Amino acid sequence: MATDRGDLLQGTLDMLVLKALLLEPMHGWGITERIEQWSESVLQLGQGTLYPALYRLERQGLIKSDWKVTENNRRARYYTLTRKGRQQFGDELAQWQRMSRAVNLVLDAKVQ
Amino acid sequence: MSWLSESWKRVRSIGSRETIERGLDDEIRFHLDQQAEKNRQRGMEAGEARRQALLRFGALERAKEETRDEVRPAVLEDAVRDTRHAARLLWRSPGFTIAALITLAVGIGATSAIYSVVRTVMLEPLPYHEPERVVTIWETNRGGTSRNVIAPSNFVEWRERVRTIAHIGMTGPVNLAFVLNGHGVGIPGRALSADSFQALGVQPMLGRAYTPEEDYGGRRDVIVLSHEFWQRRLGGRGDVIGLPLSTDDGPKIVLGVMAPAFTVLGESAEFYLPYADTLEQMRATRGRGSSYAIGRLRDGVSFAQAESDMRRIYADLIREFPQRNANRTVMLFELQDQMVGELRPAIYALVGAVALVLLVACVNVANLLLARSAAREREIGMRTALGARRGRLMRQMLAESVLLAAVGGVAGLGVASLFHQGLLALVDDRIPIPRIEQVTLDGDVVGVTLLVAVVTGVLFGLMPAIVSTRQAGDALREGGRHGGSRRLHRLLGAMVVAEVALSLVLLTGAGLMMRSLVKLRGTDLGFRVDGVLTATVQLPGARYDMPQAEAFFRQALGRLGALPGVERAAGASCLPVPNPCIGTSFWRADQAKPDAGQLTSGHVRPVTPGFFDTMGIPRLEGRDFSDGDGADAPPVAIISRELARHHFGDASPLGLPLRISVDHVGGRDDIEWTVVGVVSDIRSSLDGPLRQTIYLPRSQRPGRFMTFFLRTPQEPAALATTVTKTLQSIEPQVPVETRTLDDVVGRTIARQRAVAVLLVVFAVVALALAAVGVYGVMAFSVRERAREIGVRMALGATALSVFRLVLGRALRLVGLGVAVGLVASSLLTQTLERLLFEVEPLDPWTFGVMAAVLTLVAVVASCLPARRSMRVAPIDALRVN
Repeated sequence: MATDRGDLLQGTLDMLVLKALLLEPMHGWGITERIEQWSESVLQLGQGTLYPALYRLERQGLIKSDWKVTENNRRARYYTLTRKGRQQFGDELAQWQRMSRAVNLVLDAKVQ
Repeated sequence: MSWLSESWKRVRSIGSRETIERGLDDEIRFHLDQQAEKNRQRGMEAGEARRQALLRFGALERAKEETRDEVRPAVLEDAVRDTRHAARLLWRSPGFTIAALITLAVGIGATSAIYSVVRTVMLEPLPYHEPERVVTIWETNRGGTSRNVIAPSNFVEWRERVRTIAHIGMTGPVNLAFVLNGHGVGIPGRALSADSFQALGVQPMLGRAYTPEEDYGGRRDVIVLSHEFWQRRLGGRGDVIGLPLSTDDGPKIVLGVMAPAFTVLGESAEFYLPYADTLEQMRATRGRGSSYAIGRLRDGVSFAQAESDMRRIYADLIREFPQRNANRTVMLFELQDQMVGELRPAIYALVGAVALVLLVACVNVANLLLARSAAREREIGMRTALGARRGRLMRQMLAESVLLAAVGGVAGLGVASLFHQGLLALVDDRIPIPRIEQVTLDGDVVGVTLLVAVVTGVLFGLMPAIVSTRQAGDALREGGRHGGSRRLHRLLGAMVVAEVALSLVLLTGAGLMMRSLVKLRGTDLGFRVDGVLTATVQLPGARYDMPQAEAFFRQALGRLGALPGVERAAGASCLPVPNPCIGTSFWRADQAKPDAGQLTSGHVRPVTPGFFDTMGIPRLEGRDFSDGDGADAPPVAIISRELARHHFGDASPLGLPLRISVDHVGGRDDIEWTVVGVVSDIRSSLDGPLRQTIYLPRSQRPGRFMTFFLRTPQEPAALATTVTKTLQSIEPQVPVETRTLDDVVGRTIARQRAVAVLLVVFAVVALALAAVGVYGVMAFSVRERAREIGVRMALGATALSVFRLVLGRALRLVGLGVAVGLVASSLLTQTLERLLFEVEPLDPWTFGVMAAVLTLVAVVASCLPARRSMRVAPIDALRVN
């Protein structure tokens, strides 16, 4: 049941992170929680991969980060989607949907 | 663009690395806290909640490392860190570092100094329009073996007949005495046909050049100056164009000034004059002046086509004018050949030598590094065991060698500039190297130097890096001080062999050149070179006609002979070396004149009475000239023994007549010269043959040039000022050039001397480097084998036998190096052949002595460590570890 980064399709992690940030800025922990929740606990991110991904996306200019104070009065780094990130997500989503539809078509094809 | 900004972000992030690191820690701590909190809410006990959170997170350090990898510019940062690390290591072993740096600085410095010369002299294109289309045209001597000056009468024909060459002009040296600020100065310049400007494709920077119409129209009153003349002699004055200059050839009006770097094919000249002869005058000229031709190939014409065109024309000219052209032909040269043709063997020898020095330097530093890396074996082994990758370790070691080389390169620039000054001083004005005065250490040379430095750094660093990291794994296992060092010792041995061999090549080369130089200087010229001061004078033709000039010279000779300290004084139309006054052919007047091709040639030297005694040329028969042999007296001649034997055999030539076809402008061949004496032979160059020479009384063949020879028991140079003053007290504006006869002779072999001196310097440097290298390796090996030696001594070996053991190994290596070096030398010294005089490239004496010197030095260098090995106390050695 535990899905580790190894099982995640290459490149999809970045897309999931962007998706998680689509609504509002979040910290790293929040992102894992949100993805886990949405995936009905199927996707539990190995955090060893999350932070490299976050730093990578930030370097690519798709997200940006600020230190903010949480509701519990703790300092945390919040990540925000940039305009470029939003656009990138759109592109990747479209790509993904085309691909997954294609894969599904193949898999659903009646054999005999 | 995005790549650029990406890189910039990475670079910038080095600075903010601390911030990132702290941020990452905080962020992960926050994450773990949140996870633990969640676990606790699910009912876990606090400690367990935390443990699960950590577990869930995965390998903490690895996550951090991978995150860091996303941000930091790994390669660059590693490079910075490696360099810093290398600098610290080098700083900590100053002995090694200084030895390596000196070695590198010398090797790199010498290389860049020689490069700067080669670049200017050989590589840099001349500042002409399409220089590859410029050719020079020479005639040959009789027999067609070497190039010779051209006959103006032939030139006129070429100019009219040649179709492959667009513009063709003549050029030759001219000396003119100028009166500047009231003083007479002799200045070297060139006669240059107006067409030459077109041939070279250059025009003056200021003003204009004279036109072909002016030149062939016979205009003598125009001149074009070099940039240097304008700046240095005229102070760069703004009204230079149109300025009249007063010279011994009448007034000259400045038409133009050439650009700073302009030369006619690298020949130093400060002004350019038209020949100012009409084509008809040139056609009627009988002799050969002192000029060659410059031409520009027509568009699309190849060098070979032009050459065959010129040969065809010359063949016609031989048929039409056999008297003038029999047995001669024409030679064309491309610019590069024209300029550096004769220098090329010398330059190649120096480039080869400096490359060898650089190689020895590299081997030496590789040696030092290798020996040092052996001492660091355990450190490297430890780091490998802790997980350092081999590539990383190698990179770190390379950083060290490149850093060394870079610092060495910078120091090398200092060495280069010293070397450069030495080189210029050595060359002085004695060797006509084209454009030597333009040689500088500019940005280009600095760039090449640093490039050489980095390449050498990689070269000498790579091998030690590979070797020492390959063994790294074994180092710990064997646990000792000399784990895995067998291969290392073999390598070090190979380095010693290489170094010794390379040095020997340089030593033999230098030895051959020195030996050749000694032989050259030992050549008997036929006159006494020491104790004579020469003073050359050119009288301004505008104010002196021939009788006046002769009167001046007679008066001058009288006064000079009366100076205190002057034993004898005489005069001649030119110096005895390196040129004949007049090269010509002659025949017995009492026999039929031989055909043009059968004439024997020799030198004609007009001299004053007393010349032979002053020069120490033995008089064999007959009499010397006397004051009685004046202009109106019967023509008389004194001949050399060689000439006498050739023309008169064993019979006495006294009283017999000779005719001379005086091969110069306006010469006559209808005078019969009666032989009145025979003198011993002289040579006109140290490496030349004895020449048939005919001496004429100066008063019967006068001229406006005169060289005085003053024999003195004192140091001749000390007379120079007095002599100049004496001459200028008679004629204030006359330029006087004084030199000792010894210097005059020395200058003729200045090039051989310069090459020999440089090779010796290089060889000594290489020898010193090799000695250091041998010493270093042997010292290292004794240190490494201290335990073995200790054991041997504990088991009863005597100090002497240990000494012999260590020295024996050194001797084997040196012996092998000498053997390899001798073979390499025998192959390489062949290239020196053209520079050698009466010394075979395989001269056994030189090879033997140099091998002995090298062996001796190497043995002395290895004796020191060997001696130390004798003092190893067995108990101490065993206690190591």
